[in-house]
Amino acid sequence: MSHVFSYDFRYDDNECETETSVLQAEVEDSIGDIYLNFVEPGSLAQGGGAIDDSRHKLLRAKHEQFIHDAINGLSSNFAVLDASQPWFSFWCLNSLDILGCDISQQLRERVVDKLSRLQSPSGGFCGGSGQLPHLAGSYAAVMAIVLVGGDAAYKTIDRQGMYSWLMSMKRPDGAFTMHADGEVDVRGVYCAMVVASLLNIMTPELIKGTAEFIARCQTCEGGIGPYPGVEAHGGYTLCGLAALDILGKTDALRLDRLARWMSARQLAFEGGFNGRTNKLVDGCYSYWMGGAFPILQKALKRSRTEGYIYDRAALQRYLLACCQDRRAGGLRDKPGKSPDLYHTMYCLIGLSLSQHYVGVEPSEQVTDITSVYSVPVRMMQWGAMPASLLVLGLRSNVVKPVHPVYSVPYTPLASFVKYFYALPPLADRLL
Amino acid sequence: MVRIVDNDSDYDEGSSLPMSQQEEWSDVVPIPQDDGKNPVCPISYTDEYREMTDYFRAVMAAGEVSQRAFELSGRVIDANAAHYTAWVYRKKLILDLGLDISEELSWVSEISGRHIKNYQLWHHRGALLALLLDPKSLEHESQDQRVQNPAIRNELQFVGEVIDNDSKNFHAWSHRQLVVRSYGIWDQEMAYVETQINQDVRNNSAWNQRYFVLTANQSADEFVLSEEVADREIGYAVEKIKLAPNNESPWSYVIGLLARHAPAMLYERLLPKINELAADKDYAVAVTSTPFYWSALVDIYEKQAKALSVDERGGVEAFAEEACDSLAEKYDPIRAKYWEYRKQALRTAN
Repeated sequence: MSHVFSYDFRYDDNECETETSVLQAEVEDSIGDIYLNFVEPGSLAQGGGAIDDSRHKLLRAKHEQFIHDAINGLSSNFAVLDASQPWFSFWCLNSLDILGCDISQQLRERVVDKLSRLQSPSGGFCGGSGQLPHLAGSYAAVMAIVLVGGDAAYKTIDRQGMYSWLMSMKRPDGAFTMHADGEVDVRGVYCAMVVASLLNIMTPELIKGTAEFIARCQTCEGGIGPYPGVEAHGGYTLCGLAALDILGKTDALRLDRLARWMSARQLAFEGGFNGRTNKLVDGCYSYWMGGAFPILQKALKRSRTEGYIYDRAALQRYLLACCQDRRAGGLRDKPGKSPDLYHTMYCLIGLSLSQHYVGVEPSEQVTDITSVYSVPVRMMQWGAMPASLLVLGLRSNVVKPVHPVYSVPYTPLASFVKYFYALPPLADRLL
Repeated sequence: MVRIVDNDSDYDEGSSLPMSQQEEWSDVVPIPQDDGKNPVCPISYTDEYREMTDYFRAVMAAGEVSQRAFELSGRVIDANAAHYTAWVYRKKLILDLGLDISEELSWVSEISGRHIKNYQLWHHRGALLALLLDPKSLEHESQDQRVQNPAIRNELQFVGEVIDNDSKNFHAWSHRQLVVRSYGIWDQEMAYVETQINQDVRNNSAWNQRYFVLTANQSADEFVLSEEVADREIGYAVEKIKLAPNNESPWSYVIGLLARHAPAMLYERLLPKINELAADKDYAVAVTSTPFYWSALVDIYEKQAKALSVDERGGVEAFAEEACDSLAEKYDPIRAKYWEYRKQALRTAN
């Protein structure tokens, strides 16, 4: 596999400088310097050369150390995340699991102990002690418990309480507020749909009007914004598309415009994704955008042999060459930025979803969206198809396959779903 | 400019002493964070932050409605603006204590320079504005009159200052939409959008706002795009394309607008305009070397092919296929897989 590195793919500002083009040029400068290090000696001609992709290496031990350091303690600067405490557990456990690192029994117990203290007596999980339950915190807490695994951990979740609380966050327009008296957007919808589908508490009341709300957030550009009228954005696009997949209603979107907009988010020179038109590349969109392609693939009913409609190798090149902090470990937004747990997890998910082809073949898609029992089938029929594995650099760079909608590896997800779908559902039918 | 001021007058007196040594707080037993023996990812809070949140937990647990609780909420928020519970409690205190809403808006402006990408701050502002000025009270006023209302003027000025410092601030643009939508002040917003596009023709948040204003945020089914307005928007986008043809925003805007509301005009009105540009010696090279031009051709020819009968569409379809090939091979190889898909979709549409 040989890729030609060329300055021809830099952004052409047509000699009309604006703030956008100046910032873009600065980022391309720093990324160009890195890619030049990978150009094969002797192939370098004016303006570019052949990139030697065999040298890219995932720095597993460094990233593992970076995560363990965070588990043991965070500096006072992290007080700004004092209302997002369940996320720490999710970011750390998911990153470790995707990397294939051992997660000790002691660490699992520490996570469950921490999260159970953050569960509200009235249902849902709070961002910190003494705070209100929050949808994003509830989502992160449930995902962390998925990753911990085991009946004892599952039982800490107050399922009935979660349902009552989610219903109290539901709005007549089909969306959800993030917390009592909080903001409303597609993030909240995604968090609610993920939690409800995992815990087997989806009811017709809970999902009424939700698909229609998401569809109203699709902009004329084709991507999805947080709220009707607001600019299309990578993060909200994954949230909206994934929530619609859970509901079995991706056809509520104009998929042709969505595909056009999503494909335009991959940047020609950088290889990574930006999150909005004319914005800068950021490693976290490797999941928010890159990870939305498997879901789009399913929605468009394309088969594995046709492949995804983005450049998987270019994304891996960006992640491996530009997003790893070689000194401190951890992954980051872009060169010059510090690594953090958020970017570490989302870069790793993006890496996984660009290595493994995960999908549902068109002929096998479950079309029944009326029965509650169709939900776990739809959730778990996603699979990694080894014939289409694509690993850039060392073979040892391969990480675990991740579910594109639920963003965690398959094995813990399957155990969790099996447990909660053996419990009686709160309703028989969804419509 | 957004003012960045230090916490001076309101609550700093005596704050050099720990709260546990202040007479004012001697009746409160602080509640520490419930962390267990060996918490995962523990934060090494500063003593100050730990103490103020411990007292704040106690205040909330007691449901205390007081001036000191209000001031404490402000300190917690300024130390961690993502503390949503503190914002919720603060708003409750404002209502219960009957505090002045305008003063609170000023306070939010003061701290905003430090927390400008924070969800809660903007949500709080929106809620305060609704309390300060009921949209129904303006029902009988013209848009010009409404814009002169001090509360609205103040809010537009605040958001404008934030956007001046950070031209694509996602929260600020969303908040502008809230203000424009709530008070029905659509006319002035188009002028604002043009100013922003003139400052940076690549500012996609401004282009998105153009669509928001044009459709007055009606749904795709409600909004009717007249020929006159469509022609005006095509003309506007083409003028901006001339400034820098390799700019995704105007292409994305005009094609998105027409594809959604007047698909026939893509071929009838937009195509002649961009063909004209591609043939104009001043623009030909720049226009025909940007992928957005070729991509526009694919969209336009594809739409036209679908509008024609199977027998008639051959020629148009061939144009679209050729454009897909040019993109995949020459102008936009990173999206080669996408352009293959588009080409394939053209064929299966038969």
